[in-house]
Amino acid sequence: MRKILIVGNPNVGKSTLFNSLTKSNEHTGNFHGVTVSEKSKVINIENEKIELVDLPGMYSLNSFSFEEEVAKNVLLAQDCERVVLVDANSMKRNLYLCLQMMELKINFKIFINNYDYFFKNGNEINSKKLSEKLGVDCQIINAKKIKSSLELFERKNNNYYLPYLSKYINKIKEKYNLGEQKIILALNGDFSNLEIDQKNYIKAFLPNLIKDRYNYLNNIISTSINVKNNYIYGLNKSDKIVLNPIIMLLGFLITFFVGIYLIFFLIGPFLSGVFETILTRFLFVPIINLLCGITDNVWLIEFFENAVFGGVLTIISFVPQVCLLFAFLTLLEDSGLIARMAFVFDDFLSFFGLNGKAVYLMLLGLGCNTMSSMASRNMPEKNLRVKTAILNPYISCFARLPVFVLIASVFFLKFSFWVVCGLYLLGLLVLLFMSFILNKTILKTERAGLLIEFPPLRKIDIKHVLKEAEKNGLDLVKRIFTIVLSVGIIVWILTHTTFSFGFTQNITESILFFIADKLTWLFAPLGLNSTGIVSSLFVGIMAKELIVSTMSICNNTSSTIALQQSLLLSTSVVNFSFASAVSFLIFSLLYCPCISNLAVIKKETESFFMWFSVLSQFTIAYMLSFFVYQSLTKGFAFGIISCFVVALIFFAIVLLTKKIKHPKCLTCNKCKN
Amino acid sequence: MNLFNAKLNAKCVVKSIEIEDEKTKFRLMELGLIEGEVVTVIKRSLMKKTLLISFNSSCFTINETEARRVMVEYA
Repeated sequence: MRKILIVGNPNVGKSTLFNSLTKSNEHTGNFHGVTVSEKSKVINIENEKIELVDLPGMYSLNSFSFEEEVAKNVLLAQDCERVVLVDANSMKRNLYLCLQMMELKINFKIFINNYDYFFKNGNEINSKKLSEKLGVDCQIINAKKIKSSLELFERKNNNYYLPYLSKYINKIKEKYNLGEQKIILALNGDFSNLEIDQKNYIKAFLPNLIKDRYNYLNNIISTSINVKNNYIYGLNKSDKIVLNPIIMLLGFLITFFVGIYLIFFLIGPFLSGVFETILTRFLFVPIINLLCGITDNVWLIEFFENAVFGGVLTIISFVPQVCLLFAFLTLLEDSGLIARMAFVFDDFLSFFGLNGKAVYLMLLGLGCNTMSSMASRNMPEKNLRVKTAILNPYISCFARLPVFVLIASVFFLKFSFWVVCGLYLLGLLVLLFMSFILNKTILKTERAGLLIEFPPLRKIDIKHVLKEAEKNGLDLVKRIFTIVLSVGIIVWILTHTTFSFGFTQNITESILFFIADKLTWLFAPLGLNSTGIVSSLFVGIMAKELIVSTMSICNNTSSTIALQQSLLLSTSVVNFSFASAVSFLIFSLLYCPCISNLAVIKKETESFFMWFSVLSQFTIAYMLSFFVYQSLTKGFAFGIISCFVVALIFFAIVLLTKKIKHPKCLTCNKCKN
Repeated sequence: MNLFNAKLNAKCVVKSIEIEDEKTKFRLMELGLIEGEVVTVIKRSLMKKTLLISFNSSCFTINETEARRVMVEYA
């Protein structure tokens, strides 16, 4: 089977091309570093199977960040065909990567994208002449509208000669006995298996080599590309307004708050209500009625009503809100505003040990923390990468949305909007605080160079926005019918089964009650001493959506309204007072990343940081919830004092575990001192 | 004169790049910031820690530390 890699500079439209050719819906955005890992799909063109692989963007083979390293490794290691996608508006820079591939004698084709914009500005590319001069086949395409055909991927051998290269190879050969391929690899940033003096000797040639490459490209471009209008790609007239920090900050805050209001309190609840009514009336009620007609087994009916439909329904009603949230995030991503926000907020974020790129990760985290932790690999420095990967879970993801909306609308009524906004803000503040602390202690970061290419501000493609919303909505539906449903069934069985494997409707006799009851003492100081709440939080570690579905199963409810009403009843298994509701909101916002996020943190960093993330988040969530609950129930002063005592206890535990780590403590001089 | 001190929107020509961190130096050069290239400072951030510059027909952000190490002359 033929395998074709799509390579190129960041933000030239590789994922868009991949989506058009494979009819997929992979994540795309108007910002560099959106794709951080390779994605592949097999397509069938005229009865021939071709595997297309979309690689993260890279400016050159001399990789600068981890995602560039990933792309480079795939590009150089695999024996397959390559297509280099270049942007017509910055040909010289895009062709630089092509030139490096030519030096390594890699066979490839060039597709030129974004030509419309280039042509509109009065410029022209003679693709035939460019192909002749480069010795590589060049085609002008439109990545959005292209259709796959065998002709498109027709194999053509490259035929080129790079006059500037031989002098460097000869000079290096004169000094060291190295093979030509090894020298060329080294000239392209791969110094593996070279001694230090060899490495330094070759490195000294690089500045001149880069200049020679650009001189060579200048000669080619001057004869094949007609640039009448010298404009700066990426810079718009409106940037004079957009890049003003005050306008940007105000604009962002207004957009964010209006977005939250529309998503969670105006359009979202309306759509959710309609969605839930339709599902209840036309799907769940008829099925339950049918079941009641067939059997009178209470156990079976309750199982379907509560475990299957109850848990699913309370979450599925939030699908429209999640779709709106992702549509909002796609609007921001596609507009090109994120690069501008990164530039404007870089100063502020660098004070906390982050850099402007973190803005993109935070916005991505509003959708899914796992995705944003993975995207941290486009950070240029290791400590910065680790920091962003482990701190991203403080940003509230879509899965926590049902918890906030559900509890806030019951206990805060008119103020629920401000409570949800406050929770998002609290997550951000804790993230900045933790970043500041980490920057001063274990993850010190020198001010890392912010090197971001500005993409042009683009008109919003509504089709793409709707597609992204649909894709993420469907993803959530899939999760609901797999993870939420299966875990819901397990939770229901645990809440309705006794240790003697008998069916019980009294939850206090159930297995789950027995297990959760052993942990309630830990959460009692936070006002969360109900077994149902403890179970929800515990199950929520798997996926945050499960918190609400578990509460619904524990309270034996089968709709969102019924669940909301049950939360106020002291007879319910899960019930809250005002103070415990606030404490619960804070705790569920901060307490632990979900399992998939932890797996990504471990993969992107190391297991130490995964455990650090779990422990630090739990400690902060516990302290804050404790402080708020104690302040609300016993007064502010008591809250502060008790918080101080808890901090001391935690500190003592940390010291104790440190001692345990050194069993030779009594004899070790270091520990004795 | 270094790039950080250049006037806004004034066209400058790169004379040399003296950035100590090789990784960043080579990356900037590979993006086209080489001797003889025309570079323009478009905007400075509020605290002047980050600059928005244009070269090689594209627009990039660069930090103050690196900008101070790029020697330029007005064109």
